Amino acid sequence: MECASPECRQRAPTPLGRTLSRLRPWVQTAFLGVWLAPLGRWLHAIPGCVFHCYSCPLSSFACPVGVAANYAALLPVCGEVPYLLIGILLAVAAVSGSLVCGWVCPFGFLQDGLARIPVPKVRLPDWVGSLRYVVLLGLVLVLPMVLGFKGVPFDEQTISICRLCPAGALEAGLPYSVKSYLAGQGWLMSWFKTAILVAFIGAAIFVHRPWCRMFCPLGGLLALFNRFSLFHLRFNTKECVECNLCRSRCSMGVKVDQAVNVSGCIRCLECTTCGALEPCFALPKKARGVSPQY
Amino acid sequence: MFQRVPQPPVDPAQRDAERHDFWPGFIILLIGALLVFGGAQRLTGLDTVEGNSAWETQLIKTFSSGGLQYADQLAPPAPPRPTGDPAADAAALARWDKDRTGATPPSWRVRVDTGAKTPCPT
Repeated sequence: MECASPECRQRAPTPLGRTLSRLRPWVQTAFLGVWLAPLGRWLHAIPGCVFHCYSCPLSSFACPVGVAANYAALLPVCGEVPYLLIGILLAVAAVSGSLVCGWVCPFGFLQDGLARIPVPKVRLPDWVGSLRYVVLLGLVLVLPMVLGFKGVPFDEQTISICRLCPAGALEAGLPYSVKSYLAGQGWLMSWFKTAILVAFIGAAIFVHRPWCRMFCPLGGLLALFNRFSLFHLRFNTKECVECNLCRSRCSMGVKVDQAVNVSGCIRCLECTTCGALEPCFALPKKARGVSPQY
Repeated sequence: MFQRVPQPPVDPAQRDAERHDFWPGFIILLIGALLVFGGAQRLTGLDTVEGNSAWETQLIKTFSSGGLQYADQLAPPAPPRPTGDPAADAAALARWDKDRTGATPPSWRVRVDTGAKTPCPT
């Protein structure tokens, strides 16, 4: 269907939008130096805020999903509550929402890279985003807790988020398996987990960020705060010419023309190329001065 | 290049500006900061192998190094090695058996081995 606005074809990306779009891969690359810092293994005592397996030989910080699942398994045994983990996630979510997904997460960066392969992309229905909360509640919280109640330590739980996680397969299972294979000790990773890894890489070529859209429990949690995080996207009515550039730029299938600070958004800021959507930071009214007339 | 996605016409004047207030996010940020500060300085209810109380950061690090020890998974002490003296070996074996059967279970259910270095078996 052709765009109804006569200005549809005339809208050029704004300088800010172009800059952000070009800057993002570099920022993501720079953060790889944080998550894969060889000197950072002592940081495994601190939960990170991105999806990155702490069993990776080069990993720094602890995977927040793995930490949450471990605590869930321990809860029936000793009643420990992960205050540090909850605090870090609340602080990050309150400030940025899912901005870390679009700009910081190494696993998201990998999927962005695979999506650049020029093949036709499959668009997913909106409801697939709800699966993230099924994974969060089921695999990360309830299942480890139930098995922990039965006396099964998390390391021995055969079905767990860590056993099924493609990030763990790629960042930990794959290097250890290659190392053991080259040492003549066979392929260390189970064939099931290897199949998960292959399926994920294949999916990431044909679908934009399949893990983020469908299964990531951390992204789902952070995205819940998009509606009131300090960093957000603001819509400028005067700048909108109904050119449809915003929705066309969105790789996550968000109906940007209707609402943008929603749980499906990873805040990659590609939609800001249209000029009507502006990234901004919520400030107290006194610091803002007179409210803009939108 | 991207492909234009067809959409029904929208009325920008009817759309919400989606402006966020400062205080909800700031209050959640404060709560998060308090939890971070408290969690970083908090001793858990778990003991370490050395007999001290484990910090929350020690417990988190243990998850990735296979350092959680469960009391019901502790291996019993190994039997004494034979020394060549049948009488002494029999006495040592009897002592070992008495210690094994009369041993009281540990008071802890889970404890933290801060020196463990086993990669997490994902």
